[in-house]
Amino acid sequence: MHKLIETNGLTYYYRKGTRDEVKALDSVNMAVYKGEMLSITGQNGSGKSTLARHFNALLKPGQGSILIKGLSTANKDSISEIRKIIGMVFQNPDNQLVSSIVEEDIAFGPENLGLPQAEIIDRVDWALETLNLEDLRREPPHNLSEGQKQQVAIAGVLAMKPECIVLDEPTAHLDPRGRREVMESAIRLNREEGITIVLLTHFMSEVVHCDRMLVMEGGAIKMEGSPEKVFRQSAEIKSAGLDFPVASQVAEGLRREGFKIKPDIVRTEELIDCLCQLKS
Amino acid sequence: MELTKNITLGVYLPGKSSIHNLDPRTKIITATIMIVLLLISRSYAAFALSALFVGFLITLSGVPAGYAMRGLKPMLPVLAIMWVFQLFLFKAPDTTIYFHWWIFEATAAGLHMGNLIILRVLFLFTVTTFLTLTTSVVSLTDGLESLLKPLRAIGIPSQELVMTLVIALRFVLILAEELEKIIKAQMARGVAFDRGNFIQKTRKIFPVFLPLFIGAFKRAEELIVAMDARSYTGGKGRTKMKTLHMGRVDLEAAAAMIVYGGLLIYIIIFTEPMI
Amino acid sequence: MSIEVVNLSHSYKEGTPFEKQVLFEINLSVGEGEFVGIIGPTRSGKTTLAQHFNALHIPRRGKVLIDGLDTKDKRADLVKIRHRVGYVFQNPEYQLFAPTVGEDIAFGPLNQKLSREEVDERVREAMAQVGLDYRALRDRDIFALSGGQKRRAAIAGVLACKPGVLVLDDITAGLDPRGREEILSVIKELHHRQNLTTIFISNSMDEVAAMAERIIVIDRGRVIMDDSTRNVFARFKELRDIGLELPEVTVLIDRLRTAGFNLPAGVLNVSEALTSISAALRELEAQK
Repeated sequence: MHKLIETNGLTYYYRKGTRDEVKALDSVNMAVYKGEMLSITGQNGSGKSTLARHFNALLKPGQGSILIKGLSTANKDSISEIRKIIGMVFQNPDNQLVSSIVEEDIAFGPENLGLPQAEIIDRVDWALETLNLEDLRREPPHNLSEGQKQQVAIAGVLAMKPECIVLDEPTAHLDPRGRREVMESAIRLNREEGITIVLLTHFMSEVVHCDRMLVMEGGAIKMEGSPEKVFRQSAEIKSAGLDFPVASQVAEGLRREGFKIKPDIVRTEELIDCLCQLKS
Repeated sequence: MELTKNITLGVYLPGKSSIHNLDPRTKIITATIMIVLLLISRSYAAFALSALFVGFLITLSGVPAGYAMRGLKPMLPVLAIMWVFQLFLFKAPDTTIYFHWWIFEATAAGLHMGNLIILRVLFLFTVTTFLTLTTSVVSLTDGLESLLKPLRAIGIPSQELVMTLVIALRFVLILAEELEKIIKAQMARGVAFDRGNFIQKTRKIFPVFLPLFIGAFKRAEELIVAMDARSYTGGKGRTKMKTLHMGRVDLEAAAAMIVYGGLLIYIIIFTEPMI
Repeated sequence: MSIEVVNLSHSYKEGTPFEKQVLFEINLSVGEGEFVGIIGPTRSGKTTLAQHFNALHIPRRGKVLIDGLDTKDKRADLVKIRHRVGYVFQNPEYQLFAPTVGEDIAFGPLNQKLSREEVDERVREAMAQVGLDYRALRDRDIFALSGGQKRRAAIAGVLACKPGVLVLDDITAGLDPRGREEILSVIKELHHRQNLTTIFISNSMDEVAAMAERIIVIDRGRVIMDDSTRNVFARFKELRDIGLELPEVTVLIDRLRTAGFNLPAGVLNVSEALTSISAALRELEAQK
């Protein structure tokens, strides 16, 4: 598969050269492949957000390099191109909405790209439709629920037609419906629109919906692979301060009770299928 | 505990009246002319005419008059103090003296000066509040941006200035929310903001500032990063989804403005000023 | 301590064109030593309701009684009520304002006009309760703490006022799994050791299921369910209709039931799930 993002020995320091210098990223080598849905997880302070902010050149590497479709973020002239390729959605929707009307906010990105008026209108309509937000187009964001605001933020990025959307803990402050809707949108954009998704999250229930996961600890990548493969390494998962998905907890418990449960179960559907096979 | 309740300046009250439908540029120009005329008005007749005109506009817009004036409430004590100062301290030759005590003199000139200042502040406030009540931030800034565009030619970054204004207006509400949260958190730990005299209350406000500024800076930084991530690099090369169009209502508004302005200028020139 | 809410209604921006009623005729009571969860979609009125418990909102219509004391009563000492009903806000670390951990935690007790020794004792005790090392961290700069530590410091600041009721407003949002677990075990300990009446507002159904004995469900300003945790989560369809969910493990059991397994409804945690699934599987094996 084709690499959309590739880092090489990526290292980053906060407050470099001062007494409080912190090494936030420590020679990270990783890649994001075109079309995949990747999750990055790890404790607060493990370096997830710092890494993600390198993806669209909000931060520049201290040492090492990062290439976005072959473009280096260290090269000033590539930045506007890189930001067209990689879109970014943040944790708190209140702090990323610029305008006081939904459709105007979604137009903000395309306007910055200097697109012709007709094209902007088309893209705004398309983004509203793709995220089922047509009914809210004239609303001021402060009348929306947190979940709806986050959907507007995603639509605002989508309207820039990026190849990849990076979501930085987008569900941390949402209620159950908001969380479900944001996750459904992310999955739909990946499957139907072919957009590469990078999801930073603390929820294992979200991680299991991704094709691949990275676990970070102390600024470095500790584990990498499909959720099935990663959750097999139980000692490392615990030391990274993570949880196990509910389905794998139940599957593991049943295995210990002596039932024949197939290995590597991480999703509820798989556990149900497996138990139904036992039953018949 | 509700801080945002009495803020009316910068609040938009959606509606479908012809005032709401005016091109924002018409509204901005009209409001500016009105304010300038009121600042040079010096007679009661001029203010009476303006009160009629503003009253007519408010009725037409469907904004409850009480609400339009609500934001004045917190300003009343300051206005009263200003009035008293003018009444006693403004001196003019050849004026009636109503009252005399020690070095204080309440004179007719002082009374008129006090009234004049209060009327001006009142109208200034009402006109600007009315403008924001009937114009959304988005169209207000579109209007300003369009009006200020010629300034780019002489090197003034008008689009960036307007964007700064948009963000600043957004932050008024964010700051009020943040402030409310912090005050509540401190009340929950035993600070009685609702008790004590003016000085005691003021002293209690100090520990609020540190978390307020930290919170505001944090949010501002997040907003800047988010704008950056969406390719905002200033006004250059930016296009707009919506363009403004003047219509029939704007012509009618211009006509109304000419009639009012003409009458007012007539009054300003030919009637006796109060001072 | 007990809380009683009688016919409470509340509107924001009363008397303006933006007036919006957010609470409608709420009636409920929370008894001494109870652990009650409050759930509901965003903007359902959870926080507004909870802020009536410590007199941050004073009722205009209806009343709130704290240990029988009416918060509306002119003679009621609101400052005292706010010390007795401790309130931990969402993202409490943003509200820390003193330069050091110790000074911030001492803020509440100092407002109670206690002596220096008493205040120190309160700070020491509160830090121990949340698992922060008094000696190592008392003089530490607030901003040098980790996210989870800041949050525990904020909780200590409320505990130092010696509350009889603890109101916790979505205190785990944004924490990683380990940070969540630490905070939740602190809260559990406090409840068990001191029989502290606890009101736990959360967006995580898994957490509420693990923590609360009783759940109050709020939707659009009305109490729509008030029952034991098990009974509330047995009403799957209604919860989904208002935009809530079940705990993940309850969803699993529910779907297995639909697939024809003989399992009880309202299973709330992994160990219960294991017991009941094992039993059902053994029963099936026996039949074969």
